[in-house]
Amino acid sequence: MPNFNSFQELLTYCQEHQCGVAEAALRYEEAYSGKQRAEILAGMEAILQQMRDTVTSGIHSTEKSMSGLTGGDARRIMDFMNQPQCFLSPVEMKMIAFGLATLEENSRMKRIVACPTAGGSGSVPAALIAVEQDKNVPPQQTLKGLITAGIIGEITARRMFLSGSAAGCQAEVGVASGMAAGGLVEMMGGTPEQVVHAAAISMQNLMGLVCDPVAGLVEVPCVVRNGLSGVQAAASATMALAGVKSFIPMDQVVEAMAAVGKLMHPSLKETAEGGLAQTPVAKAFTETFKGQQQAP
Amino acid sequence: MSGGSLFDIVGPIMVGPSSSHTAGAVRLANLARLVADQPIQEVEFVLYNSFAQTYQGHGTDRGLIAGILGYGVNDERIRDAFALAEAQGLHYTITPFLGANNYSPNTVVFNMRLQNGQMLTVVGHSIGGGKVYVSKIDGHNVNIRGEMPTLILFYKDQPGMIWQVTKILAEQQINIATLTCNRNQRGVEAFMIITLDSMPPAKAVAAIQGIPDIHTARCIDQLPA
Repeated sequence: MPNFNSFQELLTYCQEHQCGVAEAALRYEEAYSGKQRAEILAGMEAILQQMRDTVTSGIHSTEKSMSGLTGGDARRIMDFMNQPQCFLSPVEMKMIAFGLATLEENSRMKRIVACPTAGGSGSVPAALIAVEQDKNVPPQQTLKGLITAGIIGEITARRMFLSGSAAGCQAEVGVASGMAAGGLVEMMGGTPEQVVHAAAISMQNLMGLVCDPVAGLVEVPCVVRNGLSGVQAAASATMALAGVKSFIPMDQVVEAMAAVGKLMHPSLKETAEGGLAQTPVAKAFTETFKGQQQAP
Repeated sequence: MSGGSLFDIVGPIMVGPSSSHTAGAVRLANLARLVADQPIQEVEFVLYNSFAQTYQGHGTDRGLIAGILGYGVNDERIRDAFALAEAQGLHYTITPFLGANNYSPNTVVFNMRLQNGQMLTVVGHSIGGGKVYVSKIDGHNVNIRGEMPTLILFYKDQPGMIWQVTKILAEQQINIATLTCNRNQRGVEAFMIITLDSMPPAKAVAAIQGIPDIHTARCIDQLPA
Protein backbone atom coordinates (compact mmCIF):
# COMPACT_ATOMS: atom_id res chain seq x y z
CA MET A 1 0.00 0.00 0.00
CA PRO A 2 1.31 3.47 -0.78
CA ASN A 3 2.01 5.23 2.50
CA PHE A 4 3.97 8.42 2.02
CA ASN A 5 6.05 9.35 5.01
CA SER A 6 8.00 11.87 2.98
CA PHE A 7 7.78 13.80 -0.26
CA GLN A 8 10.75 11.76 -1.49
CA GLU A 9 8.68 8.58 -1.03
CA LEU A 10 5.87 10.20 -2.98
CA LEU A 11 8.20 11.09 -5.85
CA THR A 12 9.78 7.64 -5.87
CA TYR A 13 6.33 6.05 -6.00
CA CYS A 14 5.26 8.27 -8.91
CA GLN A 15 8.42 7.38 -10.80
CA GLU A 16 8.22 3.62 -10.15
CA HIS A 17 4.54 3.45 -11.04
CA GLN A 18 4.69 6.01 -13.85
CA CYS A 19 1.82 8.01 -12.40
CA GLY A 20 1.06 11.59 -11.39
CA VAL A 21 0.72 12.91 -7.84
CA ALA A 22 -3.10 12.94 -7.92
CA GLU A 23 -3.17 9.27 -8.96
CA ALA A 24 -0.73 8.36 -6.18
CA ALA A 25 -2.85 10.34 -3.70
CA LEU A 26 -6.00 8.52 -4.78
CA ARG A 27 -4.33 5.12 -4.33
CA TYR A 28 -3.18 6.26 -0.88
CA GLU A 29 -6.71 7.30 0.10
CA GLU A 30 -8.22 4.06 -1.23
CA ALA A 31 -5.81 2.04 0.89
CA TYR A 32 -6.13 4.28 3.95
CA SER A 33 -9.91 4.54 4.03
CA GLY A 34 -10.96 1.31 2.33
CA LYS A 35 -13.36 3.38 0.22
CA GLN A 36 -14.02 2.84 -3.47
CA ARG A 37 -12.48 5.34 -5.86
CA ALA A 38 -15.87 6.58 -7.04
CA GLU A 39 -16.82 7.48 -3.46
CA ILE A 40 -13.56 9.35 -2.89
CA LEU A 41 -13.95 11.28 -6.14
CA ALA A 42 -17.55 12.14 -5.30
CA GLY A 43 -16.48 13.42 -1.87
CA MET A 44 -13.72 15.55 -3.37
CA GLU A 45 -16.09 16.85 -6.05
CA ALA A 46 -18.56 17.90 -3.32
CA ILE A 47 -15.77 19.77 -1.55
CA LEU A 48 -14.69 21.48 -4.76
CA GLN A 49 -18.28 22.51 -5.44
CA GLN A 50 -18.58 23.97 -1.93
CA MET A 51 -15.39 25.95 -2.59
CA ARG A 52 -16.92 27.33 -5.81
CA ASP A 53 -20.18 28.17 -4.00
CA THR A 54 -18.33 29.94 -1.16
CA VAL A 55 -16.30 31.98 -3.63
CA THR A 56 -19.41 32.94 -5.59
CA SER A 57 -21.42 34.02 -2.55
CA GLY A 58 -18.38 35.76 -1.07
CA ILE A 59 -17.66 37.98 -4.08
CA HIS A 60 -21.27 39.09 -4.24
CA SER A 61 -21.72 39.84 -0.55
CA THR A 62 -20.99 43.19 1.04
CA GLU A 63 -22.24 42.06 4.45
CA LYS A 64 -19.93 42.72 7.39
CA SER A 65 -18.58 39.96 9.62
CA MET A 66 -20.17 39.12 12.98
CA SER A 67 -17.75 41.53 14.71
CA GLY A 68 -18.00 44.23 12.03
CA LEU A 69 -14.22 44.12 11.54
CA THR A 70 -14.12 42.82 7.95
CA GLY A 71 -16.34 42.22 4.94
CA GLY A 72 -16.83 43.72 1.48
CA ASP A 73 -13.23 43.71 0.25
CA ALA A 74 -13.71 40.76 -2.11
CA ARG A 75 -16.44 42.77 -3.83
CA ARG A 76 -14.09 45.79 -4.02
CA ILE A 77 -11.41 43.72 -5.80
CA MET A 78 -13.92 42.33 -8.30
CA ASP A 79 -15.22 45.84 -9.02
CA PHE A 80 -11.69 47.17 -9.50
CA MET A 81 -10.74 44.54 -12.07
CA ASN A 82 -11.87 46.60 -15.06
CA GLN A 83 -10.56 49.94 -13.82
CA PRO A 84 -7.75 51.57 -15.84
CA GLN A 85 -5.49 51.75 -12.73
CA CYS A 86 -5.61 47.97 -12.28
CA PHE A 87 -2.20 46.61 -13.23
CA LEU A 88 -2.74 42.95 -12.30
CA SER A 89 -4.17 40.45 -14.75
CA PRO A 90 -7.79 39.30 -14.37
CA VAL A 91 -6.70 35.86 -13.13
CA GLU A 92 -4.51 37.43 -10.43
CA MET A 93 -7.34 39.75 -9.43
CA LYS A 94 -9.65 36.76 -9.14
CA MET A 95 -7.12 34.96 -6.97
CA ILE A 96 -7.08 37.89 -4.56
CA ALA A 97 -10.87 38.27 -4.65
CA PHE A 98 -11.56 34.54 -4.17
CA GLY A 99 -9.18 34.29 -1.22
CA LEU A 100 -10.78 37.31 0.41
CA ALA A 101 -14.26 36.02 -0.44
CA THR A 102 -13.66 32.69 1.29
CA LEU A 103 -12.31 34.25 4.49
CA GLU A 104 -15.02 36.89 4.55
CA GLU A 105 -17.65 34.16 4.32
CA ASN A 106 -15.81 32.36 7.13
CA SER A 107 -16.05 35.48 9.31
CA ARG A 108 -19.77 35.74 8.52
CA MET A 109 -20.25 32.19 9.85
CA LYS A 110 -21.16 30.97 6.38
CA ARG A 111 -20.16 27.63 4.89
CA ILE A 112 -16.51 27.14 3.90
CA VAL A 113 -14.09 24.23 3.47
CA ALA A 114 -11.31 24.02 6.07
CA CYS A 115 -8.21 23.57 3.89
CA PRO A 116 -6.10 22.72 5.82
CA THR A 117 -7.81 24.91 8.48
CA ALA A 118 -10.57 27.51 8.50
CA GLY A 119 -8.01 30.30 9.00
CA GLY A 120 -6.11 29.20 5.89
CA SER A 121 -9.13 28.17 3.86
CA GLY A 122 -8.74 30.77 1.09
CA SER A 123 -5.53 29.80 -0.74
CA VAL A 124 -6.53 26.55 -2.43
CA PRO A 125 -9.92 27.68 -3.76
CA ALA A 126 -8.47 31.06 -4.78
CA ALA A 127 -5.72 29.52 -6.88
CA LEU A 128 -7.57 26.53 -8.32
CA ILE A 129 -10.91 28.16 -9.11
CA ALA A 130 -9.41 31.35 -10.57
CA VAL A 131 -7.26 29.28 -12.95
CA GLU A 132 -10.14 26.93 -13.75
CA GLN A 133 -12.22 29.92 -14.83
CA ASP A 134 -9.46 31.83 -16.59
CA LYS A 135 -7.97 28.93 -18.54
CA ASN A 136 -11.21 27.01 -19.09
CA VAL A 137 -9.65 24.00 -17.42
CA PRO A 138 -11.90 20.90 -17.42
CA PRO A 139 -13.32 20.31 -13.93
CA GLN A 140 -11.60 16.89 -13.78
CA GLN A 141 -8.26 18.70 -13.91
CA THR A 142 -9.29 21.01 -11.06
CA LEU A 143 -10.26 17.91 -9.08
CA LYS A 144 -6.77 16.48 -9.66
CA GLY A 145 -5.37 19.76 -8.39
CA LEU A 146 -7.46 19.55 -5.21
CA ILE A 147 -6.46 15.93 -4.56
CA THR A 148 -2.81 16.88 -5.06
CA ALA A 149 -3.22 19.76 -2.61
CA GLY A 150 -4.64 17.22 -0.15
CA ILE A 151 -1.68 14.85 -0.27
CA ILE A 152 0.77 17.75 0.10
CA GLY A 153 -1.06 18.84 3.25
CA GLU A 154 -1.29 15.25 4.49
CA ILE A 155 2.44 14.54 4.18
CA THR A 156 3.23 17.91 5.79
CA ALA A 157 0.84 17.16 8.67
CA ARG A 158 2.93 14.11 9.58
CA ARG A 159 5.79 16.42 10.63
CA MET A 160 3.99 19.38 12.14
CA PHE A 161 0.64 20.45 13.55
CA LEU A 162 -1.33 22.54 11.09
CA SER A 163 -2.71 25.17 13.42
CA GLY A 164 -1.78 28.74 14.23
CA SER A 165 -1.76 27.93 17.93
CA ALA A 166 0.83 25.19 17.37
CA ALA A 167 3.14 26.72 14.76
CA GLY A 168 1.97 30.17 13.74
CA CYS A 169 0.24 31.27 10.57
CA GLN A 170 2.98 29.58 8.50
CA ALA A 171 1.21 26.32 9.47
CA GLU A 172 -2.12 27.60 8.13
CA VAL A 173 -1.72 30.12 5.29
CA GLY A 174 1.87 28.95 4.63
CA VAL A 175 0.99 25.29 4.24
CA ALA A 176 -2.18 26.22 2.34
CA SER A 177 -0.11 28.17 -0.20
CA GLY A 178 2.19 25.15 -0.63
CA MET A 179 -0.83 22.91 -1.16
CA ALA A 180 -2.29 25.36 -3.68
CA ALA A 181 1.00 25.77 -5.56
CA GLY A 182 1.46 22.01 -5.97
CA GLY A 183 -2.21 21.61 -6.87
CA LEU A 184 -1.92 24.21 -9.62
CA VAL A 185 1.10 22.49 -11.15
CA GLU A 186 -0.77 19.17 -11.24
CA MET A 187 -3.80 20.90 -12.70
CA MET A 188 -1.68 22.37 -15.50
CA GLY A 189 -0.10 19.00 -16.31
CA GLY A 190 3.27 19.50 -14.61
CA THR A 191 5.49 16.62 -13.46
CA PRO A 192 5.49 15.25 -9.89
CA GLU A 193 8.90 16.91 -9.36
CA GLN A 194 7.45 20.25 -10.42
CA VAL A 195 4.48 19.75 -8.07
CA VAL A 196 6.81 19.26 -5.12
CA HIS A 197 9.16 22.12 -6.11
CA ALA A 198 6.20 24.49 -6.36
CA ALA A 199 5.05 23.53 -2.88
CA ALA A 200 8.57 23.95 -1.49
CA ILE A 201 9.05 27.36 -3.12
CA SER A 202 5.75 28.64 -1.78
CA MET A 203 6.14 27.30 1.73
CA GLN A 204 9.66 28.60 2.22
CA ASN A 205 8.50 32.10 1.34
CA LEU A 206 5.91 32.10 4.13
CA MET A 207 8.12 30.40 6.69
CA GLY A 208 8.11 32.24 10.01
CA LEU A 209 4.72 33.81 9.39
CA VAL A 210 3.27 34.61 12.82
CA CYS A 211 -0.33 34.11 13.90
CA ASP A 212 -1.43 37.45 15.37
CA PRO A 213 -5.21 37.81 15.07
CA VAL A 214 -6.59 41.17 16.22
CA ALA A 215 -8.89 40.64 19.23
CA GLY A 216 -8.38 36.89 18.72
CA LEU A 217 -10.74 36.91 15.72
CA VAL A 218 -10.02 35.04 12.47
CA GLU A 219 -10.29 38.32 10.52
CA VAL A 220 -7.33 40.73 10.66
CA PRO A 221 -4.81 39.94 9.20
CA CYS A 222 -6.24 36.52 8.19
CA VAL A 223 -8.56 37.82 5.46
CA VAL A 224 -5.93 39.78 3.52
CA ARG A 225 -3.32 37.07 4.00
CA ASN A 226 -5.67 34.60 2.36
CA GLY A 227 -6.22 37.09 -0.47
CA LEU A 228 -2.48 37.24 -1.08
CA SER A 229 -1.60 33.59 -0.58
CA GLY A 230 -3.45 32.39 -3.69
CA VAL A 231 -1.37 34.75 -5.82
CA GLN A 232 1.80 33.62 -4.09
CA ALA A 233 0.84 29.98 -4.78
CA ALA A 234 0.25 30.79 -8.44
CA ALA A 235 3.60 32.59 -8.70
CA SER A 236 5.33 29.58 -7.12
CA ALA A 237 3.54 27.19 -9.47
CA THR A 238 4.56 29.29 -12.46
CA MET A 239 8.18 29.25 -11.32
CA ALA A 240 8.13 25.47 -10.98
CA LEU A 241 6.42 24.96 -14.35
CA ALA A 242 9.09 27.18 -15.91
CA GLY A 243 11.74 24.84 -14.56
CA VAL A 244 12.79 26.64 -11.37
CA LYS A 245 13.74 24.15 -8.66
CA SER A 246 13.73 24.65 -4.92
CA PHE A 247 17.36 24.28 -3.77
CA ILE A 248 16.09 23.03 -0.40
CA PRO A 249 14.18 19.76 -0.86
CA MET A 250 10.53 19.91 0.23
CA ASP A 251 11.07 17.41 3.07
CA GLN A 252 13.71 19.69 4.55
CA VAL A 253 11.51 22.76 4.06
CA VAL A 254 8.83 21.05 6.15
CA GLU A 255 11.36 20.04 8.82
CA ALA A 256 12.62 23.62 8.94
CA MET A 257 9.09 25.00 9.19
CA ALA A 258 8.27 22.64 12.04
CA ALA A 259 11.47 23.74 13.82
CA VAL A 260 10.64 27.43 13.31
CA GLY A 261 7.19 26.76 14.76
CA LYS A 262 8.78 25.34 17.91
CA LEU A 263 11.13 28.33 18.22
CA MET A 264 8.33 30.83 17.78
CA HIS A 265 7.38 32.68 20.96
CA PRO A 266 3.89 31.82 22.31
CA SER A 267 2.85 35.45 21.87
CA LEU A 268 3.10 34.90 18.10
CA LYS A 269 0.92 31.78 18.04
CA GLU A 270 -2.76 32.74 17.98
CA THR A 271 -2.76 34.21 21.48
CA ALA A 272 -3.30 37.79 20.23
CA GLU A 273 -0.47 38.81 22.58
CA GLY A 274 1.99 39.83 19.86
CA GLY A 275 2.47 41.00 16.30
CA LEU A 276 -0.32 42.99 14.67
CA ALA A 277 -2.67 42.08 17.52
CA GLN A 278 -0.66 44.34 19.87
CA THR A 279 -0.54 47.44 17.67
CA PRO A 280 -2.33 50.51 19.14
CA VAL A 281 -5.22 50.32 16.69
CA ALA A 282 -5.67 46.59 17.38
CA LYS A 283 -5.67 47.15 21.13
CA ALA A 284 -8.19 49.96 20.80
CA PHE A 285 -10.49 47.76 18.71
CA THR A 286 -10.14 44.91 21.20
CA GLU A 287 -11.28 47.16 24.06
CA THR A 288 -14.33 48.34 22.11
CA PHE A 289 -15.16 44.81 20.98
CA LYS A 290 -14.95 43.38 24.50
CA GLY A 291 -17.15 46.21 25.77
CA GLN A 292 -19.80 45.37 23.18
CA GLN A 293 -19.67 41.66 24.02
CA GLN A 294 -20.32 42.34 27.69
CA ALA A 295 -23.26 44.63 27.04
CA PRO A 296 -26.64 42.97 27.77
CA MET B 1 2.12 11.94 13.87
CA SER B 2 0.78 9.16 11.71
CA GLY B 3 -1.05 9.38 8.42
CA GLY B 4 -4.63 10.36 7.94
CA SER B 5 -7.28 10.85 5.31
CA LEU B 6 -7.05 13.47 2.57
CA PHE B 7 -10.49 14.54 3.81
CA ASP B 8 -8.95 15.52 7.17
CA ILE B 9 -6.77 18.03 5.30
CA VAL B 10 -9.24 19.12 2.60
CA GLY B 11 -12.32 19.45 4.75
CA PRO B 12 -14.56 19.41 6.61
CA ILE B 13 -17.17 21.57 4.93
CA MET B 14 -18.05 23.74 7.91
CA VAL B 15 -19.45 27.03 9.09
CA GLY B 16 -16.70 29.48 10.09
CA PRO B 17 -14.75 31.02 11.56
CA SER B 18 -12.55 28.42 13.32
CA SER B 19 -12.17 24.67 12.98
CA SER B 20 -11.23 24.19 16.63
CA HIS B 21 -13.45 26.89 18.15
CA THR B 22 -16.55 26.62 15.95
CA ALA B 23 -16.62 23.21 14.22
CA GLY B 24 -14.98 21.60 17.28
CA ALA B 25 -17.63 23.14 19.55
CA VAL B 26 -20.45 21.82 17.36
CA ARG B 27 -19.00 18.31 17.23
CA LEU B 28 -18.30 18.24 20.96
CA ALA B 29 -21.90 19.20 21.70
CA ASN B 30 -23.08 16.62 19.13
CA LEU B 31 -21.09 14.02 21.07
CA ALA B 32 -22.46 15.17 24.46
CA ARG B 33 -25.96 14.91 22.97
CA LEU B 34 -25.29 11.34 21.83
CA VAL B 35 -23.92 10.41 25.25
CA ALA B 36 -27.04 11.88 26.91
CA ASP B 37 -29.17 9.63 24.68
CA GLN B 38 -32.38 11.52 25.40
CA PRO B 39 -33.69 15.07 24.99
CA ILE B 40 -31.74 17.72 26.88
CA GLN B 41 -33.91 20.30 28.59
CA GLU B 42 -31.30 22.50 30.17
CA VAL B 43 -27.56 22.79 29.80
CA GLU B 44 -24.81 24.81 31.41
CA PHE B 45 -21.67 25.12 29.32
CA VAL B 46 -18.64 25.82 31.48
CA LEU B 47 -15.82 27.01 29.23
CA TYR B 48 -12.13 26.74 30.06
CA ASN B 49 -8.91 28.38 28.85
CA SER B 50 -8.96 29.51 25.22
CA PHE B 51 -12.67 28.71 24.93
CA ALA B 52 -13.35 30.93 27.95
CA GLN B 53 -11.29 33.78 26.50
CA THR B 54 -12.52 33.87 22.91
CA TYR B 55 -15.83 32.06 22.71
CA GLN B 56 -17.92 35.00 21.52
CA GLY B 57 -15.75 36.10 18.63
CA HIS B 58 -15.35 32.55 17.36
CA GLY B 59 -18.99 31.57 17.63
CA THR B 60 -18.12 28.84 20.13
CA ASP B 61 -21.28 29.66 22.10
CA ARG B 62 -23.48 29.39 18.99
CA GLY B 63 -21.68 26.20 17.97
CA LEU B 64 -22.25 24.53 21.34
CA ILE B 65 -25.96 25.36 21.35
CA ALA B 66 -26.37 24.26 17.72
CA GLY B 67 -24.56 21.00 18.52
CA ILE B 68 -26.90 20.29 21.45
CA LEU B 69 -29.83 20.93 19.09
CA GLY B 70 -28.33 18.31 16.76
CA TYR B 71 -27.09 20.49 13.89
CA GLY B 72 -23.91 19.48 12.06
CA VAL B 73 -20.75 21.54 11.44
CA ASN B 74 -21.88 22.67 7.98
CA ASP B 75 -25.33 23.89 9.02
CA GLU B 76 -25.76 27.63 8.42
CA ARG B 77 -28.39 27.72 11.16
CA ILE B 78 -25.46 27.76 13.63
CA ARG B 79 -25.49 31.56 13.24
CA ASP B 80 -29.05 31.65 14.56
CA ALA B 81 -28.47 29.21 17.42
CA PHE B 82 -29.61 31.56 20.21
CA ALA B 83 -33.02 32.12 18.59
CA LEU B 84 -33.37 28.43 17.69
CA ALA B 85 -32.66 27.38 21.28
CA GLU B 86 -35.42 29.67 22.47
CA ALA B 87 -37.83 28.39 19.80
CA GLN B 88 -37.11 24.79 20.78
CA GLY B 89 -37.31 25.36 24.52
CA LEU B 90 -33.66 24.59 25.28
CA HIS B 91 -32.51 26.51 28.34
CA TYR B 92 -28.80 27.23 28.46
CA THR B 93 -26.24 29.22 30.38
CA ILE B 94 -22.66 29.94 29.37
CA THR B 95 -20.13 30.21 32.16
CA PRO B 96 -16.58 31.16 31.23
CA PHE B 97 -14.14 29.89 33.88
CA LEU B 98 -11.11 32.16 33.87
CA GLY B 99 -9.07 30.69 36.75
CA ALA B 100 -6.16 28.25 36.63
CA ASN B 101 -7.03 24.63 35.83
CA ASN B 102 -5.54 21.46 34.40
CA TYR B 103 -7.83 21.15 31.39
CA SER B 104 -6.58 21.24 27.80
CA PRO B 105 -6.83 24.58 25.92
CA ASN B 106 -10.35 24.14 24.53
CA THR B 107 -12.45 22.40 27.16
CA VAL B 108 -16.18 22.45 27.91
CA VAL B 109 -17.98 20.89 30.85
CA PHE B 110 -21.61 20.14 29.93
CA ASN B 111 -23.92 20.09 32.95
CA MET B 112 -27.15 18.75 31.48
CA ARG B 113 -30.63 18.20 32.83
CA LEU B 114 -32.35 15.52 30.78
CA GLN B 115 -36.00 14.98 29.98
CA ASN B 116 -36.27 12.20 32.59
CA GLY B 117 -35.06 14.65 35.23
CA GLN B 118 -31.61 13.11 35.58
CA MET B 119 -28.49 15.26 35.67
CA LEU B 120 -25.54 14.30 33.46
CA THR B 121 -22.08 15.85 33.39
CA VAL B 122 -19.83 15.37 30.38
CA VAL B 123 -16.33 16.84 30.02
CA GLY B 124 -15.14 17.33 26.45
CA HIS B 125 -12.19 18.77 24.56
CA SER B 126 -11.70 20.23 21.10
CA ILE B 127 -8.23 19.33 19.90
CA GLY B 128 -7.99 21.03 16.50
CA GLY B 129 -9.29 20.57 12.98
CA GLY B 130 -12.76 19.75 14.33
CA LYS B 131 -11.46 16.70 16.21
CA VAL B 132 -12.87 16.20 19.70
CA TYR B 133 -13.05 13.73 22.58
CA VAL B 134 -15.02 13.22 25.77
CA SER B 135 -12.82 12.52 28.80
CA LYS B 136 -15.36 12.19 31.63
CA ILE B 137 -18.95 11.09 32.06
CA ASP B 138 -20.35 11.82 35.52
CA GLY B 139 -16.86 11.79 36.97
CA HIS B 140 -15.74 8.54 35.32
CA ASN B 141 -12.63 8.79 33.15
CA VAL B 142 -13.42 7.70 29.60
CA ASN B 143 -12.03 8.40 26.14
CA ILE B 144 -14.76 8.69 23.51
CA ARG B 145 -13.84 10.28 20.20
CA GLY B 146 -16.99 9.82 18.14
CA GLU B 147 -14.99 8.40 15.23
CA MET B 148 -16.53 4.92 15.45
CA PRO B 149 -19.72 3.42 16.89
CA THR B 150 -19.12 3.18 20.63
CA LEU B 151 -20.75 1.07 23.32
CA ILE B 152 -20.77 2.69 26.77
CA LEU B 153 -21.44 0.38 29.71
CA PHE B 154 -21.61 0.96 33.46
CA TYR B 155 -22.05 -2.12 35.62
CA LYS B 156 -21.30 -3.86 38.93
CA ASP B 157 -17.66 -4.87 39.04
CA GLN B 158 -17.61 -8.68 38.99
CA PRO B 159 -16.13 -11.58 36.99
CA GLY B 160 -17.43 -12.47 33.54
CA MET B 161 -18.89 -9.14 32.44
CA ILE B 162 -16.55 -8.68 29.46
CA TRP B 163 -17.25 -12.25 28.36
CA GLN B 164 -21.03 -11.79 28.50
CA VAL B 165 -20.90 -8.57 26.47
CA THR B 166 -18.39 -9.68 23.85
CA LYS B 167 -20.26 -12.97 23.38
CA ILE B 168 -23.37 -11.05 22.28
CA LEU B 169 -21.30 -8.91 19.91
CA ALA B 170 -19.59 -12.00 18.48
CA GLU B 171 -22.95 -13.68 17.83
CA GLN B 172 -23.96 -10.64 15.78
CA GLN B 173 -20.66 -10.69 13.86
CA ILE B 174 -19.83 -7.21 15.21
CA ASN B 175 -16.08 -6.65 15.20
CA ILE B 176 -14.50 -4.88 18.19
CA ALA B 177 -11.86 -2.25 17.37
CA THR B 178 -10.86 -1.30 20.93
CA LEU B 179 -12.03 -2.21 24.43
CA THR B 180 -11.25 -0.24 27.58
CA CYS B 181 -12.31 -1.19 31.09
CA ASN B 182 -11.84 0.57 34.34
CA ARG B 183 -13.48 0.70 37.73
CA ASN B 184 -14.04 3.21 40.46
CA GLN B 185 -14.05 0.74 43.31
CA ARG B 186 -13.37 -2.99 43.37
CA GLY B 187 -16.60 -4.96 43.42
CA VAL B 188 -18.75 -1.84 43.18
CA GLU B 189 -18.84 0.05 39.87
CA ALA B 190 -16.93 -0.46 36.66
CA PHE B 191 -17.30 0.77 33.12
CA MET B 192 -16.45 -0.51 29.68
CA ILE B 193 -16.02 1.53 26.48
CA ILE B 194 -16.02 -0.57 23.31
CA THR B 195 -15.47 0.87 19.84
CA LEU B 196 -16.98 -1.16 17.03
CA ASP B 197 -16.52 -1.41 13.28
CA SER B 198 -20.30 -1.12 12.80
CA MET B 199 -23.42 -0.26 14.79
CA PRO B 200 -24.90 -3.36 16.45
CA PRO B 201 -28.59 -4.12 15.81
CA ALA B 202 -31.01 -2.80 18.44
CA LYS B 203 -31.72 -6.35 19.68
CA ALA B 204 -28.02 -6.82 20.52
CA VAL B 205 -28.00 -3.60 22.54
CA ALA B 206 -31.20 -4.72 24.25
CA ALA B 207 -29.60 -8.09 25.04
CA ILE B 208 -26.60 -6.32 26.58
CA GLN B 209 -28.94 -4.08 28.59
CA GLY B 210 -30.58 -7.27 29.82
CA ILE B 211 -27.39 -8.68 31.34
CA PRO B 212 -27.83 -8.71 35.15
CA ASP B 213 -26.01 -5.91 36.99
CA ILE B 214 -25.54 -3.69 33.94
CA HIS B 215 -26.78 -0.26 35.09
CA THR B 216 -26.28 1.64 31.86
CA ALA B 217 -25.77 0.37 28.32
CA ARG B 218 -26.00 2.65 25.35
CA CYS B 219 -24.49 2.53 21.92
CA ILE B 220 -23.72 5.79 20.14
CA ASP B 221 -23.03 6.08 16.43
CA GLN B 222 -20.00 7.86 15.04
CA LEU B 223 -20.32 11.60 14.41
CA PRO B 224 -21.04 12.55 10.80
CA ALA B 225 -17.96 13.69 8.83
